[in-house]
Parts: sequence; C-alpha cells; structure tokens
Amino acid sequence: MNETKHPSTPGNAWKWFDPRGRQPGTWGFILNRITALGLTLYLFLHLIMLGQLAQGPESYEGFLKTIHSPIFIFGEFLVIAGGFIHGLNGIRIGLNSFGIGVTYQKQLLYVVMAISILGSLYFAVKMFGLA
Amino acid sequence: MLTTNNYPRRGESAWSWFYKIITGGLIVIILGVHFVVNHMTGSVSGGLLSWKEVVRYFQNPLVPVMEIAFVIFAVSHSLIGLRSIILDMNPSRGTVRVINWLFTIIGAVAIVYGIWLAMAIVAAGSAL
Repeated sequence: MNETKHPSTPGNAWKWFDPRGRQPGTWGFILNRITALGLTLYLFLHLIMLGQLAQGPESYEGFLKTIHSPIFIFGEFLVIAGGFIHGLNGIRIGLNSFGIGVTYQKQLLYVVMAISILGSLYFAVKMFGLA
Repeated sequence: MLTTNNYPRRGESAWSWFYKIITGGLIVIILGVHFVVNHMTGSVSGGLLSWKEVVRYFQNPLVPVMEIAFVIFAVSHSLIGLRSIILDMNPSRGTVRVINWLFTIIGAVAIVYGIWLAMAIVAAGSAL
C-alpha cells in the first residue's frame, strides 16, 4: 500500500470539533464524541464516588450533602443532557446500522435533538427549581 | 473505494462496532430503570436519598444482578468507544498495543470493583 501521509493524526484531533462546512450528520458525530468523553468521565467518577456506600451511612450521607450544591447539580444536568443526546443518537446509529431509516437519517437527527432539548429543559426546570 | 482515508482503522473491527450497538441498547434500557428507581421512587422527596434506602433496594436479588450487568456493559462500552476515538487519530502500532492492554486492565479493575461494591451493599443489609 502507498504510504501517503494520513490526514488523521493526533495533532489534527481538534478538527473533529470544527463545525465549519459540515453536514448535519457530522454535527451528530461531533456531539456523540463530546458526550462520549463527558459520560465516560462521569461513569468513572460515579463508580469511585459510590464507593462511599461501602463506608457506611455517615460517609455516604455526608457525600450526598457535599454534592448538593449548584456546581454539582449543574454537572449532573450536563450528564442528563449528554445522556439524552448520546443515548438517542446511539439508537439512531443502531437503527441506521441495520439498514433501518437510513434515508431519514437527517430527519432522525433532528428528532433526536428535539427530544434531547425538550427532555433537558424538563430536567433543568426540575433540578434548578425554575418552576 | 478504499483509500487511506476511509479504510477501516487498524484495530477497529465489525465486532467492536456490533458490541457497542448491542451494549448501547442494553445500557439505554437498564439506565431507564436505574434512573427512575434512584431518582423518582423511595422517600418523600423522590429518590433513594439515604444509605438505608439504597441498601434496602439492593436486598431484592434482581437489583445487584441488574447493577452488575449495568457496570459491565457501561464500562466495556465506554472503553471500547474511547479506544475507537483514539484509533481515529491513527496511532502507531505500539500505541494501539499499549491502549489495548491499558484499557483491558482498567476495564477489568472497574468491573471487579463494581461487583465487589454491589456485593458489599447487599451484605450491608444484614445490619439493617
């Protein structure tokens, strides 16, 4: 095989996040990546923090008190928004992968984003007590 | 046409794609149960908000089974996905080998820890 210079190198990684001149599907791809990284970070923090459950009631409930602050609640809101986007977009990718709805993939992305925005708004109202 | 641009990434396979799709679907289902139970049932204010409530919830034998399955699916899905992201940067063969080992170890440790934690919460039930 010809060894031409490969365009995807670590130095070019930022280009994933460059939204200029993209198709909507690529926006979905970028969002899926960003949310993947965020949710992975959350997953491991979540697992480590829940270790408090093994330390007994005082330890766990002290931890709950600590995270009951606006910064952590905002972080949890990001997890919910990211979960909606990544989960629903994942279902879209799964369906498309099996040949279902491929011709509607763009419309499905808009449906995914609409549900994600509405769902996130619902939780924003619930979590920040905006109602 | 296969070019250097769209040729499948070294180390990426149909199996890792299929695994992500299947575990992704299972995660969505279990996450639904996990989220509704943990945040919308239990005490007056909604959710399992005390240590006691969590421990009591884990006394149903289906719960630790579900949570252990969840930790296995979520950890493996996230690490295989992270590996895919790294593969898109076209790393060297050596880097891929290091990543494979590193992620296997991280995944194994996280899963063993998750199983231990679930069992510890179940065992705490005897103190209730």
